[in-house]
Amino acid sequence: MTETSATRPADFDAYWAAVDDELSTYPAAPTLEALALPSDEYSTVYAAKITSIGPYRIFGYLSVPKAEGKHPGLLIAPGYGSVNHLPHLDDRQRYVTLVLMHRGQRLADQPFAAAYPGLLTLGIDDPASYIFRGIVADCLRGAEFLLSRPEVDTSRVGISGNDLALITAARRPGFTAVQASGLLFHRLMEARERSDAYPVEEVNDYLRASPDKAGAVARTLSYFEPANHVSTLNATTLFNGGGAGVQSLMDAIPGTVERYEQTHEGGTDHDWADAWMARQLGSVPKPRLWEVA
Amino acid sequence: MTQTTTKTRGPADQFGTSVVRPPDFDEFWAAIMAEANAIPLNPTMEHVPLRSTDEVDVYEIGYDSLDGLRIAGWYCRPKESYLAPPYPALLIVPGYVSEPTLPKSWAKMGYAAVGVAPRGKLRSNRHFNPGYPGLLVNNITDRHTYSYRGFYVDACRAVDFVLTRPEVDPTRVGVHGSSQGGALTITTSALRRDVITCGAAGAPYLCGFMDAASLTSSWPYQEMNDYLRLYPDREAQMRETVAYFDGINFAPLITAPMLVYIGLNDDVCPPETGYALKNAMTCPTEFYAQPRSAHDAGRHWVMPKVEAFLAKHLKPAATSRHAEPTVG
Repeated sequence: MTETSATRPADFDAYWAAVDDELSTYPAAPTLEALALPSDEYSTVYAAKITSIGPYRIFGYLSVPKAEGKHPGLLIAPGYGSVNHLPHLDDRQRYVTLVLMHRGQRLADQPFAAAYPGLLTLGIDDPASYIFRGIVADCLRGAEFLLSRPEVDTSRVGISGNDLALITAARRPGFTAVQASGLLFHRLMEARERSDAYPVEEVNDYLRASPDKAGAVARTLSYFEPANHVSTLNATTLFNGGGAGVQSLMDAIPGTVERYEQTHEGGTDHDWADAWMARQLGSVPKPRLWEVA
Repeated sequence: MTQTTTKTRGPADQFGTSVVRPPDFDEFWAAIMAEANAIPLNPTMEHVPLRSTDEVDVYEIGYDSLDGLRIAGWYCRPKESYLAPPYPALLIVPGYVSEPTLPKSWAKMGYAAVGVAPRGKLRSNRHFNPGYPGLLVNNITDRHTYSYRGFYVDACRAVDFVLTRPEVDPTRVGVHGSSQGGALTITTSALRRDVITCGAAGAPYLCGFMDAASLTSSWPYQEMNDYLRLYPDREAQMRETVAYFDGINFAPLITAPMLVYIGLNDDVCPPETGYALKNAMTCPTEFYAQPRSAHDAGRHWVMPKVEAFLAKHLKPAATSRHAEPTVG
């Protein structure tokens, strides 16, 4: 029988309340160091360090437009991999942008360096020890940090990324818009049976070696199933791709929800998503497509 | 250097490259490869039961390279109970920020596949770790210590690794990747032209460095723009260095058949540089340019062509299977 990670555990709220309690015991203690190399005439880029649960010191690139006044905020949630790029110049001109590195990613890899493959299943048979408990906390702390910045117009703050963006926006009110793509945790136990591609294959690897742990793994993943979080998500939400596979997730969101079906033309899809976020945040689109003269 | 911000550009295929091949380019690389060839490979393989399946055995591998560095990688080969050897070898070379993949899906198709992790990648970064951003401009004013000197050689040494494997047919060795993986496909096919049977390069990076940086403000080339904003007086030194590492200057050395694919609206690796690469190649070349595609380089449509191209030249045993899409 297929184990499912979609069932909401009875102690779901208590589990995440404990994470919030733990976060509240550690001040973020932010430090900012201006970086000369990427800063330019439009924006200043800072190396930001803040404390998350553990306690663990995590890293972010914070870019602040040099134009006067407050600006829309944009949190780019960490992807699944060791590196997240600096914020793009297009974003740096329009938004106070935070690119977050969660524990284990480069620049936040002391004392813990994540392994790829390996991170997705680290501690996965126990929700208390699962590495993504701390990683979600890192994202929540990043959201608190961005929303606290005096340069940010807090009525216009967006977040983009995978499941971590959805979970963060659901658990931290204050976001105007969410753009979700490349979901990893949504119905992962079912998805793993249809895929042998990494990182999903990490779960297959783990359960091939420890088939008796399928129930425990499904239970752990249920705390990270975005469908179990989004009932509190009121930001306007865009699913960028995902097809019919995200319909039930869309239906679980009480706020406004849209879906964009990708054309697979990278330029077309990028510019559509960029314009959508700019529209939500009251900014201007910055298309990267160009015409041939 | 000025960055182009216009939303109108001339046809990419009519762009005139500024790349000049240094007169001592071949001697420069001959000396480096001679130095590398004198280093014993000292290959190691450690079976990884956790990642192995009924069809594929996975190994963590290591070998020595330039500057005394130990380089890591993943080696995935079909189990003999699944497919009988010998196997064609396929190097899967990584993008700039991505970590090397476990090429299990290629092994299921019948390839003895290596996921190459050149210096700076996880598990190969203990003694060399310029970071991201950082790798592209690390010592970019000195060709003798520029980061890509060893990086390119590390990929070539993966060819040497597969040649040590008794289950590999040494007459069938391919290389494939996108973005930086596309660049490494070009450089490896040139530097190990005595071995490489064919290569498939997507959205090739590290081609026309200076032109590319002037055409984009996207990472990683933006590292060069940032560097020159801070050190404008070093532009001539930078240009001199990168000429020795430019895929366009490696291209004429390639003799094996190649497949190159680009996106005509790639804001990361400008299509103008993809055409300059194509124009510099004298080997048999299949070339695909996808309108409105960006750094994906039309992957959605091109991957079946890549699989067919590699299968035509490398003849794996299970072509009914399909690989994971290659990302840069």
